[in-house]
Amino acid sequence: MAFDPKFIRNFSIVAHIDHGKSTLADQLLLQSGTITPREFREQLLDDMDLERERGITIKARAVAINYVMDGQNYELNLIDTPGHVDFHYEVSRSLAACEGAILLVDATQGVQAQTVANAYAAINNNLAIVPALNKIDMQAARPDEIREEIFSTLGIDPAEILSCSGKTGQGVPEIFRAVIDRVPQPAGDPNAPLRCLIFDSKFDDYAGVVIYMRVVDGVVKVGQKILLMAGGTEHDVISVGQFRPHQVGVDELGVGQVGYVTANIKRLSDVRIGDTITEALRPATESLPGYQEPSQVVFCGLFPATHNQFEDLRTALQKLALNDASFTYEPESSDALGFGFRCGFLGMLHMEIVQQRLERESNLMLVQTAPNVTYEILTNKGETSLLSNPTRIPDAGEIEEFREPIARVNFILPSENIGAIMQLCEDRRGTYLKTEYITTTRAILSYELPLAEMIYDLYDKLKSATRGYGTMDYEVIGYKASDLCRLDILVAGEKVDALAIVVHRSHADRRGRKLVKKLRAEIGRHQFEVAIQAAIGTRVVARETISALRKNVTAKCYGGDISRKRKLLEKQKEGKKRMKQVGNVEISQEAFLSVLDDSDD
Amino acid sequence: MNATEPTWVWPRAAYVHVPFCAHKCGYCDFASLAGADHLAERYLAAIGREMEAATGGVPQEVDNIFVGGGTPTRLDADQLGRLLAMIRRWFPITPGGEWTVEANPGTLDSAKADALAEGGVNRVSLGAQSFQPDLLRALERNHAPEEVGRALELVRPRFNRWSLDLIFGVPGSTPENWVDDLETALSLGPDHLSCYGLVYEKGTALWKQWNAGDVESVDEESERSMYEFTIDRLEREGLAMYEISNFARPGHDSRHNLVYWTNDAYFGVGLGAARYVRGVRSSNTREIFAYLRRLEAGLDATGPTETLDPESRARETSILMLRRTQTGIERADFARRTSFNLDDLLGEPIRRHVSRGLLEDDGSRIRFTREGLFLADTVLCDLL
Repeated sequence: MAFDPKFIRNFSIVAHIDHGKSTLADQLLLQSGTITPREFREQLLDDMDLERERGITIKARAVAINYVMDGQNYELNLIDTPGHVDFHYEVSRSLAACEGAILLVDATQGVQAQTVANAYAAINNNLAIVPALNKIDMQAARPDEIREEIFSTLGIDPAEILSCSGKTGQGVPEIFRAVIDRVPQPAGDPNAPLRCLIFDSKFDDYAGVVIYMRVVDGVVKVGQKILLMAGGTEHDVISVGQFRPHQVGVDELGVGQVGYVTANIKRLSDVRIGDTITEALRPATESLPGYQEPSQVVFCGLFPATHNQFEDLRTALQKLALNDASFTYEPESSDALGFGFRCGFLGMLHMEIVQQRLERESNLMLVQTAPNVTYEILTNKGETSLLSNPTRIPDAGEIEEFREPIARVNFILPSENIGAIMQLCEDRRGTYLKTEYITTTRAILSYELPLAEMIYDLYDKLKSATRGYGTMDYEVIGYKASDLCRLDILVAGEKVDALAIVVHRSHADRRGRKLVKKLRAEIGRHQFEVAIQAAIGTRVVARETISALRKNVTAKCYGGDISRKRKLLEKQKEGKKRMKQVGNVEISQEAFLSVLDDSDD
Repeated sequence: MNATEPTWVWPRAAYVHVPFCAHKCGYCDFASLAGADHLAERYLAAIGREMEAATGGVPQEVDNIFVGGGTPTRLDADQLGRLLAMIRRWFPITPGGEWTVEANPGTLDSAKADALAEGGVNRVSLGAQSFQPDLLRALERNHAPEEVGRALELVRPRFNRWSLDLIFGVPGSTPENWVDDLETALSLGPDHLSCYGLVYEKGTALWKQWNAGDVESVDEESERSMYEFTIDRLEREGLAMYEISNFARPGHDSRHNLVYWTNDAYFGVGLGAARYVRGVRSSNTREIFAYLRRLEAGLDATGPTETLDPESRARETSILMLRRTQTGIERADFARRTSFNLDDLLGEPIRRHVSRGLLEDDGSRIRFTREGLFLADTVLCDLL
C-alpha cells in the first residue's frame, strides 16, 4: 500500500563542503531508528572509498526514514547531495525531487561559497528552506554572528534559523519538527497515469541499472510494464523498493514516495537522468521537466603508460562509465603518446577522481596530459567548431575568431584578502563585477574569468591567499572571443602534440619561457643534450637545453646486502614508470602536467 | 646432503661481520661500532652460537669466506684467533678455497697478521681509500697514508693474495689527485684493486654535511673522468676490470664477491649481516644489544626478510650478473639458474639499451659497452 502523501516529506540537506552534512544525515537516521547506534558511523551515506577518503559525497543517494511525531508516523525521504562545486549539477538534480531543503551552515565557519550557491539552487527550485546552524556544541561556534551573515547574504530571518549538532544530536528533534511543519507535502494525483522523475542511477552487477526515482503521479509496481519517455524504451519492473538505508523491496510506491526501480536494464546509458518513467499501457501525455545535461568543462588525454594497455583502458573506461554518466571519453591518437582517450570531466576534482578510480579499480598506470577547456573556433571559411584538444586547433592563419569559455566566479573571503584575490584575477585576465559585504569583515567578490585561467589552480591559490578562509563557486556563462594562440613545445626538435597549450597572446612569451624552464627541470637527462623550445607557429619564443647525462653508476660494494641495492634501483625505476618515449626522449607524467603550472618556483 | 643442491640454492660461501671500529668513518653506513670494544667477548660468544644455529650444528663446507666490518682487525690477536677457529669449525673451507679478511692499515700489527695467517686466512683486503691526508680527513679515516705501506710489509710475506680499496669522488678531490692516488696504489704492486665511487648514504655523517651544504660533491664530469681514467690506467697495468668497481690480474678476482654477482647463495653471520639461503634474503638486526641479547637467549637475530617470486628473482639475477663487466649475462647460464628465457623476460629493455649503445649482445652474452659502464644504473633499473 502506498503511503499517504499527506505524511510524506521529501527534502535534501545542502551545505558547503565539510559543514557536517553527512554527520547530520547520520543523526537523522539514528534518531528516527532507521539505523542502530551500532550502524551509526561517520559518513554512512558515502559508500565509495574515494568519497570517504576525501570526506565528500559524489553521488546522490536517497534514504527513506520513518519518524513518529505527535503520534503520527511520517515518511521522510532524505535525498543526499554532493558538496563539491564540480558536482553542482547533481545538486540541482536532487533538489528537483524535493519540496524542501535543510540549509546547513557551520556555526564556526559561517556562510561559504557553496552555502550561497546551494541555497540559491534550492530557492530557484521553489523549495522550502529549513535553515540550521551545525556544530553548535563547539567552543568556536558564533551562532549570533552567523545568523546575521545568513540574513545579510540570503535574506533569511534569523529567528527561523535552528541550531543543532550532528555530532551530539542536540537540536535534531527540532529539525525533524521543522521539516514536517515547513516542508509542503508532495502534490500529485494517485489516479493519473504514472509519472516518476529519475534523479540518479547506478549500476549493480546483479540487478543491472538501479534507477533512483521519485513518484510524482500514479503508482509504480513490481511486474508493471514501464516506458522511459525520452529514451522510448519499455521494460518490465523486476523490483521496487526504498533505501532504509539498505535496499528494502516493496510491492509498490505511490505519490510522493522516493525509492528505486530495477527493470533488467543492462546499460547505464539506457537510462537518462531527468527522464520520466510512465506506464507503457497507460502512458502520461506529458513528461516531467527534465534536467540540463551536465556539461564537461575540463578535458585531458588519458594514455596507458605502456602501449599494450590500450584495450584495458578502453574496458576500464566502459566499466567506469556504467557508474558515472557524467564523464565523456573518445579515442584519441597522439604522435607522442600513442593511442588513448580524450576525456571530459565536470571539473578538476572529478578528473582526479576518475583517474584514480581507473587506476585503482582496473590496475592501470596512466599518463595524463595537462587539462584544458573547450574552445570555439570560427574559421576563415565561416565554420564554427568546438575543440577540446589543443592539438586540433588550426594554425593562426586559418582562424577568424578564437573564443574561450568564461566563468562567473564568486569568492567569499575575508575582506582583508580582497586585494590579493583581485590581483590574482587581474593577472588572469579577469573582469571585475562587484564586491558585496556580508559583514564588515567578509565579502563576496565576483569576477568573470576565462575558465582556462581558473580550473587548474585558482582554488589552491585562493586557499593559500586566504589561509583557508576563502571559498569559491563558479558557473560557466558562455564563450567570448579572445586573442588566443596555440603554444607548441618542441623536444629535441620534434613537436610534442601532447604538450601544446592554448595561451593568451600577451602572455605567450612569458609563459613560453617559464614553460621550457619547467620542462628542463622535469624531463630527465639523457645520454645526449636535449633542446626544449616553445614556439608560436614558426616563431620560437623560448629555448632551454638539458645537458647530457654523463655518469649514473653506483660503483659501490654493498657487501651481500643485495636487497638494499635492488631497492635503490627500484626507487630510481619508480620515477620512470609513467614515462613516455617521444622520439629518443623520455618524458615523465610530471612534465606533461607541468605545462599548466604557472607558478614561479 | 645439502651439497647436492645447486650453488644458488644452498650456500657454498660465508660472510662473517665484525662491527668494531676505532672510530666511525664519515661515509660508512655499514653496521659498525666505535668505542664498543668491551663487547668483543660477548660478541664472539654470540657469533659462535649464531654459526652453530645457521649450520644446524652440522659443519657446512664452503668454497670461500669473507670476514668484513667494521674493522675485523680491531679485535686483538687472541680474539682474532678464536674467531677464525670458530669459523673453521662451522664453515670448513675446501682445499684451495679463498678466505679473505678486511684489514685497516692503522690497526694491523704483526701479531694480528700472524693470527690471520695461522688461522687459515689467505687473502687480505686493505682499506687504503686514499693516499692524500686531506682526503683521508674528508672521509674521516684515522690512518695516515704511509701506514698502508707499513701494513703491506706485514701482509706481503704472509699472504699471496691481497687487495687495496680506494675511493674516488671524495669531496675536495680532483681528477689530478685521483691520478696520484691510483699511481701510488699501483706502485705498491697490487694484483687486485677495488675502486669505489663515493656515495653519500643517507644518515651518515658525511651525508649530513653534504645535505646541509657544508660539503660539496665532485662534479659529474670530473667523477666520470676519474672513473674513465681508472678503467684505462688499470687495464694498461694488466688489472682488468671484472666488475663495475673491481679490477684484477688474471686469477686474482675476488671469488667471494663473485658469489653475490652470480646471485649464488651465501651464509651471513654477525651484526647486520645479510644472507641468502634457499631463495630467502634476510639480514640481522643492526642494533648490537638486540643482537647479543637474542643470541644469548637462544633466538635468532634475523630482521628484514624477503622471499622474491621467481620472476623478481630472475630480474635481480640479471642486474647482478650485468655488474660482471666481462662475463655479463650468459643466456644459457641465466636460463639454467632462473628457468626464465632472458629474451622473453627482458628482451625489450635489452634491445632498447643495445640500440642506445649502452649494452652489447653477441648472441649468447649481454654486457655493458664502455659507455654503458658510466650509465649502468640507468640500464639496471630498466631490467627490474
